[in-house]
Amino acid sequence: MSSQRQASSASQVPHLSPAELSYLYTSLSLPKNPIRPDGRSPTQFRPLSAETTILPGTNGSARIGFADGTQAIVGVKAEVEKTVLAADTLDSRSLAQHGDALNREGEEGSAAVSGQGEWVQMSIEIPGFRDDDALPVFLSEMMRESLVGSVAGGDVDGAKEMAGGLKGRLVINKRWHWRLSCFSPNLSHTPSPLLSLTTHLALLSTKLPKLKSTGEEDPFFDDDWAAAEYLYPRSNTSKSSLSAAPSYPVRPPVTLLVIAVGENVIFDPNREEIAVADAVLAISPGIPNSENVNMLGATAGPGEESGGQEEVEGVWRPRRGGVKRSVIARMVKTVLGKGGVGEEVLEGLEGVEVQ
Amino acid sequence: MPLDTSTTYPLTRLRLDGRRWNELRLLQAQISTNPASSGSSYLSMGNTSIMCSVHGPAEGRRGDGGPAGSGHAVVEVDVNVAGFAGVDRKRRAGGSDRQSSRIATTLRSAFQSHLHTYLYPHSTISIHVSVLSADGSLLAAAINACTLALVDAGIPMPGLLCGCTSGMSGSASTPRDPRHDELDPLLDLSLPEEQELPSLTVATTTAVPVGENNMDEDEEAMKVCVLTMESKVHATYLETMLAVGIDGCSQIRELLEGVIKGSRG
Repeated sequence: MSSQRQASSASQVPHLSPAELSYLYTSLSLPKNPIRPDGRSPTQFRPLSAETTILPGTNGSARIGFADGTQAIVGVKAEVEKTVLAADTLDSRSLAQHGDALNREGEEGSAAVSGQGEWVQMSIEIPGFRDDDALPVFLSEMMRESLVGSVAGGDVDGAKEMAGGLKGRLVINKRWHWRLSCFSPNLSHTPSPLLSLTTHLALLSTKLPKLKSTGEEDPFFDDDWAAAEYLYPRSNTSKSSLSAAPSYPVRPPVTLLVIAVGENVIFDPNREEIAVADAVLAISPGIPNSENVNMLGATAGPGEESGGQEEVEGVWRPRRGGVKRSVIARMVKTVLGKGGVGEEVLEGLEGVEVQ
Repeated sequence: MPLDTSTTYPLTRLRLDGRRWNELRLLQAQISTNPASSGSSYLSMGNTSIMCSVHGPAEGRRGDGGPAGSGHAVVEVDVNVAGFAGVDRKRRAGGSDRQSSRIATTLRSAFQSHLHTYLYPHSTISIHVSVLSADGSLLAAAINACTLALVDAGIPMPGLLCGCTSGMSGSASTPRDPRHDELDPLLDLSLPEEQELPSLTVATTTAVPVGENNMDEDEEAMKVCVLTMESKVHATYLETMLAVGIDGCSQIRELLEGVIKGSRG
C-alpha cells in the first residue's frame, strides 16, 4: 500500500480533471502576467528551509525542505582509491609533468592525472523504484554529468586548486584519488530540482581530510578533522562581505527546472504546473558569469503528430507538436543571462550558512 | 584494534566513547518534522539518527483479502537504511537488505499488537523509517522514533513503547561467578560495542492500569513488548542485561515524554 502510494507520488501525476487542467493552463498562459495557483510571480521560487552538515557520518550533507513537507537529504562520502591505469598510459604518464598533465585535460590524458568522471558517483533512491530502474539512473546520471562537466568554468576563474574542475580536485597524486559518492535516500516525494539544490549545498559543505604526505607518496592524512579542507575551496569570507565577489571561486552547478506555458516562462514549477507545461527544461548554469550551459536536457511536450481531434474549450488535452525555438531560447536566456535567475539562485544559496 | 571495549574497559571502567556502564548516549528528538505526513519524528541517539513518518490511518487497499478486511488496522513498516548511514559506502542491488527487513518485521509485529488497532477497522497505518546515520542500537532508536511519530499522528496506544539496548563488557561465554564478578553490564551500545560484545534489545511499555486499584499503584509497572538478541551469552548473565535494559527504557521514556510535552507546550 505504502509503496504503491509513494510510487504514484513519485511519478508526478497530479489528480486533476481535464477541466481543472484546462483552467490551470489558461491562467498560466495569460499573456505577460501568468497567474499561478499559489500566487507566485513567474520567476519566484517556493520558500525553502535549508541546513547543512546534518549527518555526522558523512563528509558533507545537506537538507532542503519546502514548507509543505517535501524534502531532500543528500549525503556525500569520500574515500581514497587507487588509480587504475593501463600499462601503456602509465608509462607516458610517468614521463609527463604533473602540472602539465592537469592542463592537458581533454587530450589523450583524460584517463590519467586529470581525473575521471567515474570518480564521482551519484545514487538517487526513489520510492517505488529499484536502484537500477530507468528513472533513478537517468536522474542521477543527469546530475552527475553536470557536476563532472563543470570543469570549463574552473580555470577561467583561476582557482588554483580547482584547475580541472571537480575531477581535478579529486586527484591526490598519480596513483591515488578520491572517490566521491553522493547519496540521496529514499524519502517520499522529492522533486528533482530540490535534489539538485541539496546536492549543491552538500558538496559545498563537503570536507576532505588534510593531506600530510607530499608528491607521489602513499596518501597520509591529518587526523584532525578541524584541519580538514573544503572540497570546494572558498576565498576568505571577510573579503566577500565587503565586495560583491562570490566567496567561492568555483561552485558545483545547480539544475533548475523551467517550464514554458504558452508564451510564458515559469520557474520552479510545482507538480500541477509541470503537468500542463508545453515544455520542461532542466538547465544547469555552471558559473553565471561565464555563461556556459553545461547540460541542457529538454523534455519537450508530448511530440505526437496532431491528430484529427478538435480542441474543446474548457477541456484540457496534452499539447501536440513541439515548442518554438524562440521560446526555448528565451527560457535559456532568462536563466543564464546577466542578472538572470541562475545568478539569483546561486546568490540565494550562498546565503545558506555552511559551517 | 587497540581501542577495544573488552580489553580497556576492565582497566578504566570507561567505555570507548567515555561513558560509564549505565550512561545513555545523548538523545535528541523532535516531533512534527514533516508536515506532509500524519505524524513524523526525528530522533538521534548519539550518532544514530533516524527520521520516521507515519501515514494514516487511511483506507486499506481494496480487494486485499487478508487482515485488512478484518476489524483491525494493519500496520505497515518500511525501513530504509541510507547509503551513507554506515562507515563504508554501501552498494545494494536494489530493494532492501537483511538488516532493514529484520528491523521492519520487528517493528511491524511490535506496533501491530501495541497500538489500539481495533479503533480503525479496514484501515492501514503505514510507517516509513529512514536511517540517516547508523551507529548501533538501530532497532531501539527506530522503536523510539516510531513511537514519537505515532504519538504525533494521534494514534491511540496504551503507553509509550521505548526501546533500549544493553550488553556485557566481555564475551560472557562462561557461567557467571558471583564471587568475583568482573563483567559489567553496559547500557545503550554503540556500533563498535555492538559488533564486539553480546547485546540485546528490549522495549517496554507501561502496563495499562486496570481494575479499581489502578489509582493507588505508585510504582510504574513495566511490560516487556520486544526482546531480541542476536548474539551469544551465557544464560546466567541474561537477567542482569535485561534489568539494565529495562532500566534504560524507563530513562528513555522520561526523555520521550519530555519531547512530547515540550513540543505541545
